[in-house]
Amino acid sequence: MATEQQADRVSPALELRGLIKDFSTGLRGLKLRAVDRLDLRVEAGQVYGLLGPNGSGKSTTIKMILGLLAPTAGHCEVFGVASTCVEARREVGYLPESPYFYRYLTGRELVRFYAELGGLHGKALTERVSEVIATVGLTAAADRRIETYSKGMLQRIGLAQAIVHHPRLLILDEPTAGVDPVGAAAITELILTLKAQGKTVLITSHLLGQIEDICDRVAILDRGRLMLEGAVRELVGRADRQALLVPTLPAAELQELRAWLESRGHTLEMVAAPQARLDQIFLDCVGKKK
Amino acid sequence: MMTRVTFSLRRTRLIAFNTVREAARQKLYGFVGVLAAAFVLGARSLRDFNFGAPELKFLADCGFGVMAFFGAALVITATAQLFFSEIENRTVLTLLAKPVWRAEFILGKFIGLAFVAGVFCTVVTLLLMQVLASREAQLLREFPDASGLGAFVSYSNVIFAGVLQWLKLAVLAAFTLLVASFAQTQLFTVVTGFFILVIGHLQYLAQDAYARGGSWLGRGMSGLMATAFPNFQLFALADGLNVGEALPWWHVARVAVYALGYIGVACGLAVLSFRQREI
Repeated sequence: MATEQQADRVSPALELRGLIKDFSTGLRGLKLRAVDRLDLRVEAGQVYGLLGPNGSGKSTTIKMILGLLAPTAGHCEVFGVASTCVEARREVGYLPESPYFYRYLTGRELVRFYAELGGLHGKALTERVSEVIATVGLTAAADRRIETYSKGMLQRIGLAQAIVHHPRLLILDEPTAGVDPVGAAAITELILTLKAQGKTVLITSHLLGQIEDICDRVAILDRGRLMLEGAVRELVGRADRQALLVPTLPAAELQELRAWLESRGHTLEMVAAPQARLDQIFLDCVGKKK
Repeated sequence: MMTRVTFSLRRTRLIAFNTVREAARQKLYGFVGVLAAAFVLGARSLRDFNFGAPELKFLADCGFGVMAFFGAALVITATAQLFFSEIENRTVLTLLAKPVWRAEFILGKFIGLAFVAGVFCTVVTLLLMQVLASREAQLLREFPDASGLGAFVSYSNVIFAGVLQWLKLAVLAAFTLLVASFAQTQLFTVVTGFFILVIGHLQYLAQDAYARGGSWLGRGMSGLMATAFPNFQLFALADGLNVGEALPWWHVARVAVYALGYIGVACGLAVLSFRQREI
C-alpha cells in the first residue's frame, strides 16, 4: 500500500514520451502520421487543455491514452501504468465527443451499467449511482430513456458515467460541444468541482474562452505535432503591462492623470470602458431563471 | 504497483445481459419471433402440402424448418447489428475505456446472442409441442383403435431436436461474431454469415470430395473446407427422426461436444482478432 502511494506520488497522472501513431491508407499501405513524437506530462490535480484544429491528432492521442489504439512508437502511461494495460483504465473516466449511449436504457440503468463495469457493486453501487446522477443534475430525468434526452442532458449523463467509478483522471473530449451556454456553464462548474476534489482533467475543446477559464496548462497540437505547451497564465498574461480599473473619470481629470504619469516617465497607452462578456450576460438572463 | 485486473465473469455477464436487453427492446427481433410463432401455429393449415409424409411428421418438419430459417436470419442479423451498433454508435469507446478486457466484450456478446437464440428456440419448441399435442389428441379421438399402438409423438425427441437447433444457431452466432470482429461493415458480416450457413449445410460435399481423393490441391481445399466449417447437417435431427421413436441421448451429447468445440475455436479467434482491432 505504501509502495503504491509512493509510486503514485512520483508518477504524473499522464505521461506521453515520443508518442507516434501512423495509420495505413490505401492498398499500397501508405502511412499517414496522425501523432508525431508527442511528449506531454500532466501532473496530478491539474486541468489540462489539449487544443488544436480538426485533424490535429487530439482524438487519436486520447484513444492511445485509453488503450483503444496501440502507439506505433513511444510510451504512454497513466499514473505510471502503460496505457495498453487494462489496469490503467481503472483510473480513467472518459466522455467521448458527441456521445451516443445505449438509447434503450434509462439514465439510471446506463450509469449503473458503467458503474458495475468499473467494479462497484452492492449498496455502494446504488448509492454512488444516485449520487453522480444528482451531481450532474439529472435526478428528475434519471428514469427516462436516454433517447428522450437533449444534447445537454446526454453530455451530463456522459459525465456521470465517466466519474461514477471514482477515476483519478478524467478525459473529456469536447464536453460542451453543441450544449447551450447554461449547460456549458454547468459542465464548467462541474469540472472545477472535480478539480477541487483532486481529480486530474484532460479536456479538449474548441471554445478557447472556456479553456482559458478552467485550465492550468494547455498544449496546442497541429498536424500531430506539439506546437506550444505551458501554463495558461504565462501564455496569455503580459507581465510588462497592468490594467487599472476606476470609475469613469471626467475628461479634465483624465488629462491630469495622463500628465502625472508622463511626469514620471510613464505612458498611458489605452483608455477604454471594460465590457461584460456576452456569455455572462446570457447566463445572468437565462441561467438564474433555470 | 497496481492490482491486476483479471478476466471477470461478472463483467462478461453484464455485457451479455446488456446485449440481451438491447435485443429485447428492438422491435425487429420481436417481429421475427412473432412471425416464426405464427408459422408454427399455422402449420396445421398447410398440411395439404405434406407430400405424402405422415401428418405429425410434417408438422414437426414444418416447426423445425421455421426454427432453422427464422433462427438463422435472427442470429446472423442480430450478431451483426448488435456488434456494429457498438462500433458505429461509439458505445464501444466508453465501454472499453472502463477496465474491461476485449475478451470479456466478445464473450459477453456471444453469450448474450446465444441466450437470445435460446429463448427463440425454446418458444418455438414449446409452441411446436403444443401444436403436436393438440393434433395428436385430436387424431386419437378420431381413431381410437390407434391408441393401442402407443404415443405418436416422442416429445423428448422434439426437445432434443430443439436443443440441437439452438446449438447450431450458437455455432452460427460464434462464426458470425468472428467475421464481425475484423469486418469493416455490417453488410459484409451479414452476407458472410449467410455464406457460412450455406457452406455449413453443404459441408458434406467437401467431405465427399476429400474422401474421393484427386489432386493434392483439390484434396487440400476440400479437407480445409471440411475441417474449418461446421457440418450443420449433423444438427438437423428432425429430418431423420421418426416422431414416435426415442433418440439416443448420447447422439445429442456427441453433437453438443462437436458444437462446443467449434464455438470455442470461433470465439477464441474472434477474441484474437478483436484484440488487434483499432477502434
